[in-house]
Amino acid sequence: MDVISGLSSGFAVALLPLNLFLVLVGCFAGTLIGSLPGIGPINGVAILLPIAYGLGLPPESALILLAGIYYGAEYGGRISSILLNVPGDAGAVMTTLDGNPLARKGEAGRALSLSAVASFCGGTIAVILMSLFGPLLASFAVTFSPADYVALMVFAFASLASLVGKNPIKTLLGALMGLMLATIGIDANTGVARYTFGIPDILAGIDFLIVVIGLFGMAELIHMVEVQVSGKLKLLPIGKSFVSWRDIMTVKWTILRSSLIGFFIGVLPGTGASVASAVTYGTEKRLDPDGGRTFGQGNIRGLAAPEAGNNGAAGGAMVPMLTLGIPGSGTTAILLGALLLFNVQPGPLMFEMRPEIAWGLIASMYIGNVALLVINLPMAGLFARMLTIPQKYLTPLIAVLAFIGVYSVVGNPFDLYMIIALGLFGWVLRKLDFALAPVILGFVLGGLFEDNLRRALSISGGDWSILVSSGNSIVLYGLAVLIVAVPVWLARRQRSRVATDG
Amino acid sequence: MADRIFAAVVLAVVLGYGIMAFAVIKAPFQYDPLGPETWPQILTVAAALCGLYVLLKPDVSVMTMTGGTGIRLVVTIGLLAAYAWAYEPLGFIVSTIIYSAAMAFMLGGSAGRAIAFGVVSGVAGYLIGAWLLDLNLPGGVLGDWA
Repeated sequence: MDVISGLSSGFAVALLPLNLFLVLVGCFAGTLIGSLPGIGPINGVAILLPIAYGLGLPPESALILLAGIYYGAEYGGRISSILLNVPGDAGAVMTTLDGNPLARKGEAGRALSLSAVASFCGGTIAVILMSLFGPLLASFAVTFSPADYVALMVFAFASLASLVGKNPIKTLLGALMGLMLATIGIDANTGVARYTFGIPDILAGIDFLIVVIGLFGMAELIHMVEVQVSGKLKLLPIGKSFVSWRDIMTVKWTILRSSLIGFFIGVLPGTGASVASAVTYGTEKRLDPDGGRTFGQGNIRGLAAPEAGNNGAAGGAMVPMLTLGIPGSGTTAILLGALLLFNVQPGPLMFEMRPEIAWGLIASMYIGNVALLVINLPMAGLFARMLTIPQKYLTPLIAVLAFIGVYSVVGNPFDLYMIIALGLFGWVLRKLDFALAPVILGFVLGGLFEDNLRRALSISGGDWSILVSSGNSIVLYGLAVLIVAVPVWLARRQRSRVATDG
Repeated sequence: MADRIFAAVVLAVVLGYGIMAFAVIKAPFQYDPLGPETWPQILTVAAALCGLYVLLKPDVSVMTMTGGTGIRLVVTIGLLAAYAWAYEPLGFIVSTIIYSAAMAFMLGGSAGRAIAFGVVSGVAGYLIGAWLLDLNLPGGVLGDWA
């Protein structure tokens, strides 16, 4: 019942002319950005965040716009994967495997429309599950004490370390760098300045917008200059083929399975579209009656699975962000930071205190998914034209957009040097195989982590055993150990099996 | 090797961070059991352990880069810094025209096209940013009538 009344109040917000307009703009801009080769959802949201902030919109409208860009970009990523064989980001890699062979057979139109339908189903199933489970999780999380929050955060970082990137220690070190960056500035509890070295520009802390633009906008720009491809990429023609009802019937179970798997992977902290699309593709390949032999040669199941999966994950990642205030992926970490900019603290109380934001966002996602399907089916050709923008023009535009965004918020030229320095730092991290998402997660969660730790110890009067004194926290620490130990144990078992086989 | 150098730099930074956490940061008075220094102290220990691990077990051995790419990157950073430096004094339109044109030219565009691209991005960027979206962009030398 709560869900129904919540949703109807949400639709009342989302259907306001301004918000409806912003959903459409966000979805359109997101698809455009997502279809640019090399720029994925996280870069797109990062580059446009300060501009959205500078527009002076109310928080729910700004969030609706940014979320539209986020899942729109998740949608658009498939276009360059299919037509160019160049994925926009890690989440779109699996889409190239069967999408590009289809396009080479002259069925690009069919591949694009089928993947649009799969994305639509993945996104819609995710938002339905979110409306059902989000409030439940929130009403459970309301009972969390500060000590439980500390445990939850430990679990989030454990799952991040275990599931993201190749080297867990590097992922952890990246998250720690984010946490350390977050300690710069005046400590809110005591008024003591930490690590400011007397520089007035950072007394209030390093602005979240600057970290995001630096790490995800400028670092991407430097990376694009480094790997700049001189030869022209071959853009395959879209042609006249289109998805048939039979195709959809063939993949209906694939889509359903992949959407569900994608959603649950998205909910886990730290894992997002890239893990979801890899897992769903692998699952379908294993379930294939032909033993997966046609996968990689243009199998429509192999195309539908990762697309349903990564859009499901994009929705799933929103759940912990909205209900716990703990983002499920790098991109939702940016959305969470965006809410903090508006002085809205996401978390279990948001469904009660700021229902217009929580439910408005959810309702806008129903509308956005339909809009994306409608935009994408007839206009694939227009988006495909974006792929022909040469990199030599695209690269400077990133800097121009980033500068507009950063400057327009505070009007401080010092910030422009900061984003260049952070961009260089982010580029070095990428070169050394550090994932950047943990850094931003650490940065966003730093304040919350420290606050909850200090609050917990204030409650106990300095007794550290409060951290392990509730059922919730013990379960969470147990899960944290499991999520780190199980992959290690599996890898060791696999290695010993290979050893005995050989 | 690249990993080791990076880890060494990280450890040096963490050392400085830790010295401040353990010796410098102090609240004049506080009511809570944890002051402003405890959290940085915890982070110092954790980051030092991770840094040591990477130092002892590096996995990225070399950072390969051809000379041409290196020069391109240096020029990119230089252009960005110049763009940041010129942003306020010259204003958005002029600095963006110069930066965009120079960048497009450096990345292989012909001179004519690069200049045309620069002019379009500077003027269109200002029209969309400052007029349509009402964002705060520096007018600079064109300040009076831009």
